[in-house]
Amino acid sequence: MTHKTLLFRCVLGLLGMMGTIPTAHANALVADLSKDQIRVASNFTGEKILLFGAIETTATQGASDVVVVVRGPAENFTLRQKKRVAGIWVNAEALTLGPLPGYYAVASTRPLDEIAPVSERAKHEIGPENLRFNLLEDIAQKPDSAAHPDDGTQAEDGALYHDSFVRIKSQQKLYSVDPTGVRIIGARLFRAELTLPSGLPFGTYITEFFLFQDGRVIGYQTGELSVEITGLEHLLQVAAHDMPLLYGLFGVFIAGVMGWGVATLFRRV
Amino acid sequence: MQIYLPIAEMSANIVTLIGMGGLVGFMSGMFGVGGGFLMTPLLIFIGIPPAVAVASEANQIVASSVSGGLAHWQRRAVDIRMGLILMSGGIAGSYAGVQLFKLLRALGHVDLLISLSYVIFLSVIGGLMLRESLHAIRETRRGRPIRVRRPGQHSWILRLPLRMRFRQSRLYISVIPPLLIGFLVGVLSAIMGVGGGFIMVPAMIYLLRMPTNVVIGTSLFQIIFVTSAVTILHAVENQTVDIVLAVLLMIGGVIGAQFGAIVGQRLRGEELRALLALIVLGVASKLLLDLVFQPEELFSIQRMGTGS
Repeated sequence: MTHKTLLFRCVLGLLGMMGTIPTAHANALVADLSKDQIRVASNFTGEKILLFGAIETTATQGASDVVVVVRGPAENFTLRQKKRVAGIWVNAEALTLGPLPGYYAVASTRPLDEIAPVSERAKHEIGPENLRFNLLEDIAQKPDSAAHPDDGTQAEDGALYHDSFVRIKSQQKLYSVDPTGVRIIGARLFRAELTLPSGLPFGTYITEFFLFQDGRVIGYQTGELSVEITGLEHLLQVAAHDMPLLYGLFGVFIAGVMGWGVATLFRRV
Repeated sequence: MQIYLPIAEMSANIVTLIGMGGLVGFMSGMFGVGGGFLMTPLLIFIGIPPAVAVASEANQIVASSVSGGLAHWQRRAVDIRMGLILMSGGIAGSYAGVQLFKLLRALGHVDLLISLSYVIFLSVIGGLMLRESLHAIRETRRGRPIRVRRPGQHSWILRLPLRMRFRQSRLYISVIPPLLIGFLVGVLSAIMGVGGGFIMVPAMIYLLRMPTNVVIGTSLFQIIFVTSAVTILHAVENQTVDIVLAVLLMIGGVIGAQFGAIVGQRLRGEELRALLALIVLGVASKLLLDLVFQPEELFSIQRMGTGS
């Protein structure tokens, strides 16, 4: 079980870094997923995964809370804002943010602000508003830096664009916050069900499980989930990007065969 | 039943897509037009990214123009030499169009380019078609024979240098006008995902003075090659051709066109054209309103990869 050993080392390493968490509590939380691979084929319309585990709460005072985070591969995103120019709405301003996860879901036993203070949530990037990212220079759009004279407006813009990013991603169901998504059963077991929508970005996802007590993390585990495109769709997507000329010729070939076939068929009928 | 479109990166309903292909195919068969100028806006309306809609629709048109062109080819109603000249201009035009498309895509303006091109061309074509067909309807009601409008003489255009003999069309004209017409249609094809027959056919009749019996066949002949070039160029430059989407549209389109042609023969020409004009103007209005009214969401996201 090299996978588990690696995970355990990660946890230890992380706990060591955080320092404040006693090593005795390293196994205060044990968790796993119902599947560690999602295959997206032509009929993929979304899939449910179950995230579950056990917690050990030694302290009797204070409620225990579990927070589960699933984040997709990080990417850069260009956000464009429409403005009215000569009576029509056109993309006027753009900023590139990143790296940000293409998918982000957080589920918890209670609303996040009741579980832990902002500082703690920000430290662990819990909640879409706490994701850290950089403002990247937009290569194509802004040859003149005059549009953004000082860092103050840059930061303000960054916040506005980040809010919009989260809003659009939430509409696409690619970002979600479920404040009652984790159920604790008998004070020992917990489970959370997550519905992954269609339109998922592909790559390696990271799952994180946090056990909170009195606003502090006392247990942590991380894992991986891979989301892959399979079958014909995979072949086409790879070909479209790696062998675009061949892909284009193939498209034309299919069209020619279909057009010829149908015309011939209907003439006979 | 949902299907995942690998390039559009979204799920769509198979029945909806084949049905749309069939409906537009039916109308194109009935009205005798290509249908790209109706299909691309419809794809955009159901949420396909405009850049993917344009490139995939070009791919579909290859199938429908092969299917339609075959009959003309077998009847020898194709001026091959003229077709090749138009095609040369068309391929150059599609290259220019795809480059423009790529540039504006990087700047975030490609959706606007597509919408504006549609609003302008659909309004003009729809308006002209409506006026012409209403006039024809009025004249027939009054019992007058329809006057065939003789267009003005453009012969100086045809007497430009580089003249060539087109035996099939019984013409001896300069190759410059057909090259330019081909170029323009190639640009439109790349930007709008259309075959461009709605420009090509009138241009061949009124500007080039080609005999009507070879016009449709020659137009389809060059559309096959120009939309093939557009498909390949978009695939190479923009990676926006969704073959799954294109194939679904082809299935509906080629079948719908066969039935449309049967129905079309039973209806009156000028009323049919008035109906098509109203549909075209309706699509143009919807696209224009989407540009004019404030959108619900002012922001849009484009994935930029990990680009370190």
